[in-house]
Amino acid sequence: MNTEHNTAQIYIAALGLVTMILGLVDILVWIGFTGGIEFGIMGIAGDDFFRWAWGGLVVFLGGALMLSGCRNVGNIQEFSKVLLGAALVWTIAACDIFAMICENIPAGEEAPEFLNSFAGFVGGFAPPYAPAVILLPFTLVIAYFFYAWGFADES
Amino acid sequence: MQKEEHPNRHKRQVVQGADMVLNEDQRWSLVDLLAKQTISAGTYKQTVWDVIGELTVKPLTGIPVAFAVLYAFWSVFGSFAGALCTDGFFVKFFDNHFLPWMQAIWPDPNSILYFLFVGDPLADNCFEAFGVLTSGLFIAIGVVLPAVLIFYLMMAILEDSGYLPRLAVLVDTLLHKMGLHGYAIVPTILGLGCNVPAITATRILETKKQRFIMMTLLAIFVPCGAQLGIMLEVIPESVGYVMLFLLIGYVVFGYLLSKIVPGTNPEILIDVPPYHMPQRANITKKLWMRTSGFIINAVPFVLLGVLFINLLYIGGVIQWLSDVFAPVFVHWFGVPKETAGPLIAAFLRKDLAVAQLSNIEMTQYQMISAVVLISIYFPCVATFVVMLKEGWKELLAAVGVLFAVAFIYGGIIHAIGILLGVA
Repeated sequence: MNTEHNTAQIYIAALGLVTMILGLVDILVWIGFTGGIEFGIMGIAGDDFFRWAWGGLVVFLGGALMLSGCRNVGNIQEFSKVLLGAALVWTIAACDIFAMICENIPAGEEAPEFLNSFAGFVGGFAPPYAPAVILLPFTLVIAYFFYAWGFADES
Repeated sequence: MQKEEHPNRHKRQVVQGADMVLNEDQRWSLVDLLAKQTISAGTYKQTVWDVIGELTVKPLTGIPVAFAVLYAFWSVFGSFAGALCTDGFFVKFFDNHFLPWMQAIWPDPNSILYFLFVGDPLADNCFEAFGVLTSGLFIAIGVVLPAVLIFYLMMAILEDSGYLPRLAVLVDTLLHKMGLHGYAIVPTILGLGCNVPAITATRILETKKQRFIMMTLLAIFVPCGAQLGIMLEVIPESVGYVMLFLLIGYVVFGYLLSKIVPGTNPEILIDVPPYHMPQRANITKKLWMRTSGFIINAVPFVLLGVLFINLLYIGGVIQWLSDVFAPVFVHWFGVPKETAGPLIAAFLRKDLAVAQLSNIEMTQYQMISAVVLISIYFPCVATFVVMLKEGWKELLAAVGVLFAVAFIYGGIIHAIGILLGVA
């Protein structure tokens, strides 16, 4: 195994662990283990079963898949597990971003106009963000490995 | 060409032309020669997509993917239909512009025609007005149409990407316990859009037993996209609980039906295609066909449904039914006796019935019970007609099961509420 794979292995293991922890925190906050959390630009409201319990479970399982495949990432079978784990995080993050877009296109309920102003639209994307959105750029590194290690060419 | 056959296969000969005779060895040599000249063999190399294709049918890795796919399905559904279309634009348009305009231009607010077509003259939103041209149009266009549109788009993407057969493989074991097999997931998911094509899709199941169980479960426990859309609007915080009750009922009563209904439940072989990118032309075609079908079939039912219910109100029929069934509604199901009206409307359109519930004062648990009751008590008239086409004996049996299930399950839900101290 080359040095690049070793470094990637450590990176994916750490990312998988953090992802699992954040998914678990999503679920615990929804259960009521603690109140809503805000930490820097990250926020977990935990007020909705669908978003925090179900979505948190998907993030948790995504982290578990990354961890399960990180021992031999040069192997196509193992790398596929890592990629699948990352795809689960992308799914939740993409849904969060899509929800933000959908909520910010219309003007507020009280506003007389139908469409939001440009400033209002952009302002709607201000933090806090859900953990899946924060994890998104870090998991995109796995997409880089997919191309850099030639898996994309074979596909 | 002349062909001669002998009992001994090895001595079989083919006579070609007048003087050319090939024995079997020569024929195979000729085949080999032709194959060498025409076929070039490559080497198979497994790709990441092949491995991912395999991982998504194995339970350990496939179930997390199924959770994620279903999450995305409903998240996109809620964001597009709920937040963007209905709450973002249609509520504002209908409540702030269309309803006041209708109330202003329609003459004589005390007339019967006003009550039928515009509804309550004091209403400030289209849910409460309940006129054919106010609530009817709002429900059909403002709530149900965006829900059905996004549902069918997501469904078409799932179908064309190759994920649906994988989901069928994943749920095969569970569905076998309910007397069905993996492909029963197709009518189930279709039913979440509209029960009418879902009932037709039960024909992909092999035996009468499977088709009967599937049709009955669809009619009772699978809410359509229109109903889901209106549920998101009326009880957004309780949709999860309603779906949980329906899911539990789907599994439990499916299991019981598989034990009661005679017949077989054979194994199937599923051809799982590789993943591929959905073609835009196919998606557009499917979306147009299904959505236009919905507009043609459902919108008139919604408008006529509102008219019919308003006529029943004027005639005092709803009040009479409420009084007659009050003991069952109040003591057995634990819901207000006024729920009789929406239950009648549910036969025409279930989305309409849920919308009507929003005008009845009740607790959150009563609302959950009432919505579950509306879902399980009777299929809408369009589903009823399609079930009739599949066979009147099956329809009668399904209706019998349906009433028994609605009565028993409605009582159980009330009992759960009493035990939890919320009913």
